[in-house]
Amino acid sequence: MTCDEVRELLPEHLLGTLEGPEDLEVRRHLRGCSACREERMKLEDGVAALSRAMHDQEPPADLRARVLRMLDEEWEDVGHPPATAQRRRDRSPWRAVAAAAVGVLLAGSVAYGATQAHRASVATADATSYTDLLKALGGKEFSVGALHPTGGSSFDGRVLVYEGNASKGWSSWAIVFVKASSYTGEATATLIGTDGQALVLPPLRVSDGEAHTWLVTGDDLSGYDRLTITTPDGNVVATGAIHPA
Amino acid sequence: MLRVKIDDPGSDAALMAEFAAREERAAGTLFDRFASRIYGLGVVMLGNHQAAQDLVQDTFVKLWRTAERYDPQRGRLETWVLLTARSLAIDGLRRRVLESRSLQAIGVQPDDDPEPLPDERAAVADLSARARRAMAVLTPEQRSALELAYFGGRTTAEVAALEGIPQGTVKTRIRAALLRLRDEMAKDADHDV
Repeated sequence: MTCDEVRELLPEHLLGTLEGPEDLEVRRHLRGCSACREERMKLEDGVAALSRAMHDQEPPADLRARVLRMLDEEWEDVGHPPATAQRRRDRSPWRAVAAAAVGVLLAGSVAYGATQAHRASVATADATSYTDLLKALGGKEFSVGALHPTGGSSFDGRVLVYEGNASKGWSSWAIVFVKASSYTGEATATLIGTDGQALVLPPLRVSDGEAHTWLVTGDDLSGYDRLTITTPDGNVVATGAIHPA
Repeated sequence: MLRVKIDDPGSDAALMAEFAAREERAAGTLFDRFASRIYGLGVVMLGNHQAAQDLVQDTFVKLWRTAERYDPQRGRLETWVLLTARSLAIDGLRRRVLESRSLQAIGVQPDDDPEPLPDERAAVADLSARARRAMAVLTPEQRSALELAYFGGRTTAEVAALEGIPQGTVKTRIRAALLRLRDEMAKDADHDV
């Protein structure tokens, strides 16, 4: 698609009325064309002007509190409090056992990864072992996913999700391994569900090109089918689909 | 009310990440930045203050449910929020049409919206006056195409069919309208300074 073709489609792209394949082509073009991105910004100024001119009206004073209260209710109903808060509440003995098992798994996987020259194929290659482990643990399922770099980043990695069995008192786990040869600092791993819900794991702290994080929870993790890694500036640097092992 | 004006894509991405992580501060910041325009959109499109308040609430819940999908590389947070609100408003209008048809089918007249209070009338009148001034710079053809696409969520093909003009003309009109609005608002800002 040429710049002229993209610019003709930009208003529709911006107003959300462009159909799938063409919209995808426009998005692809924009990623690699600063001149067209600048044109898009000008049109976005137009949309902003339109919105301010046509429909900017102070809402009732009590609406802010009402909306924030509704969000609180939504967050309660979804039942996945932030990972850090969840971990603070994980104090029961069975969760401690689960945490210990995660530690063993983590150490084993890291060692395996080291012997494989840090290739990010740990979970898939060892699927049989994981299935055996699953039987031993009595859980429902292991799911795995490969993380692929986005936006030219150096990130890749693996995610392993263990679906426990709440009726038997076994929690679920999620473990993320990341390699990032040209990055040092924090990053965020977020599990994303099929219905759009998100579960943020404790921060990844990347040093010497590697990092890991994990979460133990009594909640059901089976609805999460994607994981993204974002840096503090909000850029998505890796993403991957999660599927049964 | 404190209005925080942030258009930096990095800041927007960080804000949405905080919102996704259920930070109430982020929710409050988003409300302060966008609630007035979502509310105004509800008043204009739905013509009812209660429905406009519901639109604000529904929009913020939807924004939270989809917060992880926000990608600053794909466009401004402002545009994303407004189009999310517009989409919900269009859904609301469609529901109303269906409900109205159902009620008519069984012989029941739908209730009219409550009569707006005098101050509400004044506020809507003010909104309309500002809208007329801003839109006056556009030609009728540009305005019509833009309103059908923006408020109606109509595709270029649909606008072309409704207006009886080629699709290319619709595209040209919408693009020219947006750029002209941008230029006029920039001029107004210069005069204010």
